[in-house]
This record gives sequence, structure tokens and C-alpha cells, in this order.
Amino acid sequence: MRSAFEWVDALPSSIALRESLNAYPTLLTTHVVSMCLFAGLIAFWDMRLVGLTLRKVPVSNIPTRLFPWALTGYGINLITGGLLLYSQPMRYYDNFYFWAKMALMAVAGFNMLWFHYATYKSVQAWDQGREIPMSARLAGVVSLVLWAGVVVTGRMMAYAGLMPEWWNNLNIGA
Amino acid sequence: MTQSFFEWMQGLSFSAWMLEETWASPIIQCMHLLALVAFAGAVLVVDMRLLGRGLIKTSTARLARELDRWMIWSFVALFVTGAPQVLSTALKQYYSPFFWWKMQIIVIGLVFTFTIRRRVAFAEEGTLGHWPKVVGVLSIGIWTSVSVWARLIGLLS
Repeated sequence: MRSAFEWVDALPSSIALRESLNAYPTLLTTHVVSMCLFAGLIAFWDMRLVGLTLRKVPVSNIPTRLFPWALTGYGINLITGGLLLYSQPMRYYDNFYFWAKMALMAVAGFNMLWFHYATYKSVQAWDQGREIPMSARLAGVVSLVLWAGVVVTGRMMAYAGLMPEWWNNLNIGA
Repeated sequence: MTQSFFEWMQGLSFSAWMLEETWASPIIQCMHLLALVAFAGAVLVVDMRLLGRGLIKTSTARLARELDRWMIWSFVALFVTGAPQVLSTALKQYYSPFFWWKMQIIVIGLVFTFTIRRRVAFAEEGTLGHWPKVVGVLSIGIWTSVSVWARLIGLLS
């Protein structure tokens, strides 16, 4: 794994991106704005499942009408995030919050797929009414917590000095 | 006058505490970001509806009524978590043009949101021609630029 990060780190295009004055601010700003589009819409979808808001909107309306926009935001987020990683791979290699963010994203993606292919199949039964099944509510709560965790760990990546002690003891960067 | 006010803010014991306490800034910044996500979602759902996109089977007025409190309370959370960051880095903010642009656009955004946008969102559907679309675009533009300037304060000051 480390050698792959080092290999990317030494690529001329990675170095060029790293040394560019404008690339980092542009990518990071676009990353934040696209996060607002993606996470903002997903948060309200999750809160609809939990029953906290938009209770008069049929549940099935949200994936069909809002997900294309949310996925556009997610796509931009992935591209800008990927380029940020590509430009400074060794900065993130030993960063606890980077790996925590990746793990949380993977679990959130799994939760989304599980919900889509299991719970959401019966949506017609609870689309209009207010009684949302417990499994859907649970998926909403789990999704809210996981995406909040992604946002938090993403912000914490800037704090290299605040890694957990046990992580530092692993000496991954050495 | 303004500079001395910012110097006073920077000199507060709370500002010193914010800078000295290792976890204070990161925790407040994370909360600020979570509030930003909630605010963005509440604004976007209504703005997209104004543009004729998103949840078109529900009236704009109903969406706006339902999401109003989310928008207001998440903005309050943004203010509450943003103020300590300004206090603790007051002079950095004072000398950053992005901070002043952000503040000016926030004021414009608040006035716009609680006057024009509110009136258009609560108006009867189909009575205002293309104005809902214009208002939706302006609202998205205003709040996007606020987050852009906010991000650039930390990067280019």
C-alpha cells in the first residue's frame, strides 16, 4: 500500500498539481461546495425517512427528483477528493482521519445499497402515509450518523497533530 | 475604529482560550461544517423547486413553510459556531478581503432571503412568471459564494 502511495507521490502530474498555486484552493473549495449539494440533499432524505421533516412529501418522490442532483454533487466530490489525494498522497497515507473517512464512506455506501435493495422495495406500502417502517427509519439514522462522520473526519484531516495515540503508536508513516 | 474593535476581540481571554485549547477549534469547525450542510440542504430543496426542479409534486409554499425553521436554526448554528472562530482569529479575518466579502454577501443573502425569496416562495404558483427561477438562481449564487469566500479565508489569507 505504502509503495503505491509513494509511486503516485513521485508522478510528474502529482508533483505539478502539488506545486500549483491555484490547484489546492480551487479543488478544496469545489470539494466543499459539492459536499453541500450532496450531503445537504442526502441529509433531508435521511430526515424524511426518520420522520423529522418533509412528512407531506411522498417518500418515493425524493430519490427520483433529488437523487440525480445529489449524485451530481457526489460525483464532483469524488473527482475533487480524488485529485486532492492524488496531489498529496503521502500527506494522507498516515492520516488516521483519512482512513476513518474512507471506512465511513464505504459503510455509508453499503447502508445505502442495503436500503435500496431491501427496505425500499416495499416503498409503495408506506409512500404516502406517515408510518415509515422501523428498518427504513433505522437506515435513515445510520446514514445521518455515517455522513456526519464523513464530514467531521474530512475536516479533521487538516489536524495532523491530533491523531489518536494508538494510531501514532502504529508508526504507519515511518 | 474597526481595526481596534478586531484587536479588542483578538485580545479577549476567550480568544486566547480558543487558541490554547487543542480541541476547541477543530470541534467548533466540525460543528460549523455540519450546520453548513443542514443550511445548504434546507435552502437547496426550496431553490430547486423555485427553478422547477426537485420536488415538483409539492408546492413551493409548502416546502418553504416546512423547511423555513431548518434554514433559520441551521443559520443560527452557523452564527454560533462561526463567531468563536472570528473571535479567536480576529486580526487574520480583519486583514482578509474574503472575510469582508463573505460578511457583505451574508447580509445581502439574509435581506434577500427574508424579503424577495420569501415573498416569491410563498406566492401562488404560476402567478409570477419567470421570477421564481430568477430568485432560485440568485439564492443559490449568493449562498454558494458565501461558502467559497469562507473556504478561501483559511486558504489564501
